[in-house]
Amino acid sequence: MRITQGMMTNNMLNNLTKSFNSMNKYMDQLNTGMKITKPSDDPFIAIKGLGYRSQLVQAEQYSSNAAEVHQWMDNSDGALDHATQGLQRLKELATLASNGTNSKDELENIAKEVDQIKEDLMSIANLKVNDKYIFNGTNTTVPPFGSDGQPSAGFADQKPVKVPISPGVELTANVNGQTVFGGDFFANIDNFSQALKSSDSANIDQYISKIDTNIESVVNARADLGARMNRLDLVENRLSQQELTAKDIMSKNENVDYEKAITDLLTQETMHRAALSAGARIMQPSLVDFLR
Amino acid sequence: MSTFHGLEMAKQALFTQQMGLYTTGHNISNVNTEGYSRQRVNFETLSPYPSASRNRPQMPGQIGQGVKAGTVQRMRDSFLDTQYRSQTSRASYWSTKTDALSRMESVMNEISGGDGLNKVLDDFWKSLQSLSTNATNSGARDVVANKGLAVAETFKYLSTSLEGIRTDLKTQIGDADGTSGKLGDANSLLRQINSLNKQISEIEPHGYLPNDLYDQRDVLIDQLSQIVNIKVTYEKSSNSSLDIADGIANIELEDATGNSFNPAFSLLTKGDMTKADSELKKFTIAYGDGENNSISEIKFGDTVVPIDKVDGSLKALSENYGIKNGDKNYYTKMLSDLDKMASEFIKAFNEIHSSGYGLDGTTGRNFFTGTKASDINVSSEILQNTDAIAASLEANNKGDGQNMLKLSDVITEPISGLGTNTSVKTYYQKLIGELAVNTQEAGRNAKNTALQQANVQNDRLSVSAVSLDEEMTNLLKFQHAYNASARSMTAMDELLDKIINSMGLVGR
Repeated sequence: MRITQGMMTNNMLNNLTKSFNSMNKYMDQLNTGMKITKPSDDPFIAIKGLGYRSQLVQAEQYSSNAAEVHQWMDNSDGALDHATQGLQRLKELATLASNGTNSKDELENIAKEVDQIKEDLMSIANLKVNDKYIFNGTNTTVPPFGSDGQPSAGFADQKPVKVPISPGVELTANVNGQTVFGGDFFANIDNFSQALKSSDSANIDQYISKIDTNIESVVNARADLGARMNRLDLVENRLSQQELTAKDIMSKNENVDYEKAITDLLTQETMHRAALSAGARIMQPSLVDFLR
Repeated sequence: MSTFHGLEMAKQALFTQQMGLYTTGHNISNVNTEGYSRQRVNFETLSPYPSASRNRPQMPGQIGQGVKAGTVQRMRDSFLDTQYRSQTSRASYWSTKTDALSRMESVMNEISGGDGLNKVLDDFWKSLQSLSTNATNSGARDVVANKGLAVAETFKYLSTSLEGIRTDLKTQIGDADGTSGKLGDANSLLRQINSLNKQISEIEPHGYLPNDLYDQRDVLIDQLSQIVNIKVTYEKSSNSSLDIADGIANIELEDATGNSFNPAFSLLTKGDMTKADSELKKFTIAYGDGENNSISEIKFGDTVVPIDKVDGSLKALSENYGIKNGDKNYYTKMLSDLDKMASEFIKAFNEIHSSGYGLDGTTGRNFFTGTKASDINVSSEILQNTDAIAASLEANNKGDGQNMLKLSDVITEPISGLGTNTSVKTYYQKLIGELAVNTQEAGRNAKNTALQQANVQNDRLSVSAVSLDEEMTNLLKFQHAYNASARSMTAMDELLDKIINSMGLVGR
């Protein structure tokens, strides 16, 4: 085949362009840390990437949902713990008051403490966390008990706060305030206080068992909450595992293998240098240089 | 035999070698001229003396009379031209298509770090989920409104950007009357080729080869083959033209497989040489089919061009822009797919949103307005008052975010209007997947066809291109022959000197 200068120039330009393109590709990979910079580089990787990224977003969101649930539960548990303590004290006071040896003054003093404890329990029932009343179901903007001490509308019929923790799986985050503070919870305490104030020692006995019943419902609620907290722990572990896995798969799918990319780049650079110096050698001489 | 036979022969040799030298100079001068084919002087021996005839002088055999320059021919292989042109049409089709699809791809911007629709939908889903757990939080409501706005704006951005590129493609294809864009180029090339045909037909009958006009014509034909694939046949310009003359180029449109249409689709014939430029047939185009303003037809003269059956950049541009009833209308298809996706999404989202209750207790409100990708927006009611976002399933249950969960499902759960088991997300992923595969295929074909084109181009250059080394060698060859001819003339000169000045002096 007859070879002319023009052909050699063309070939060399083509080869240099090709080599530049490859270098550009490796540079892109190193700069972005990604195997591909546009979907058409590898449609398969790209489409899988879209799916993985959505999965990761979901895993992250469900983790954050779970953290939200955790907060609800921790606060509810703390509040119920506090409520139990208050109720225990009420029971002690009821026992103390019921032994019949107390003077009227002493009973009135007990009544004062009972009133304070009731206020405390009332504030627990109306506990607001993150601007939400946590013992009023989904009706989080309304306090369960009004300033008159009466339950608000809907308190008796509150709905569970359900938070999704996986696709299609929801966990109840709250403790039903009605099962703890509902019924005659506060009426009992009021009556107890009333009985103390009127020194009606004969009737005080009955409150011991009534308070016991209240303690029991709080303990039951905590037990139920504890079981859900256990489940939440499991779910949180699984979610963080999922998040890790999703990140890992995503990284394997689209992140560049630096060793490989750098090696490729260096190899390409060597070839490019060789092509340039060969070109410089071949382009230069012609017969003109040697004829006198 | 004439006395001066030797002088004449040497003179003829000097002239002829000089022509060789000049042609070499012409070749060297045009070493970098695009489309130039190297030229060669075909040397011929002059007819010997005496010619065989009844009154021939009685001589023992014939004696040569020297050399003459027969023709000046350009070195070119028409078979390689044909190959090169069909490769050019193919390469030009794929590279134009790759360009158009790559532009679409960069608009969609769907790769890690990109802010494509996929990511925006993910973000929106996240904001809906967050609001579901904090239904009364005004911050979370703002986030939902803004992420919803981002979804709407991304739809609109995609739609207007793709339309923008389509407008660009239309400019590249050309105006209705075929004066601009590729159509304008094709029309102008045909006119120029016709004019060269005319010039060539005026030179060839005189026994000349208008090599440089041939070259110019071949460059124009090469350019035309980028736009549509063509078949070139040659016709003798007159009976008195040389046999090796190229003649008049007839150009016809060819289908993508390299065959003539039946009946043949002629673009330029010998007969066109008598016509003025304004009378020549030309490519025209009609737009305006349907709401997306597709190409209704491309015509040459009165004949409809079967654009889907040809090759070249015109087809690639048309396919991307959109042809009436075409099956590869990449841009119009993407636009209508996005519209469908937006419309189903808006419908499904609004249906659920309007059944829920806002913080202000109202219900029956739409979240999105509009019906397609180009006009989707977040309702101004919601942008002005985020309490209107219907997070709750019941009027007075403000802390309930269950409706947000149902709304977040609109993004991830199948919507029947988009196909069986197809959600907004998977539908979009399918669009991106198809685009990526098409772009990849186009890119690969563009690379391959460009390589083949370069190979044929090399083959062609191997025949036609000027090699300086070769020209320098020829220069030496002709120079030496010239010197030697001059030397033979000197010998003749001495011979005659002897006859004229030294002979006939007997008895002086």
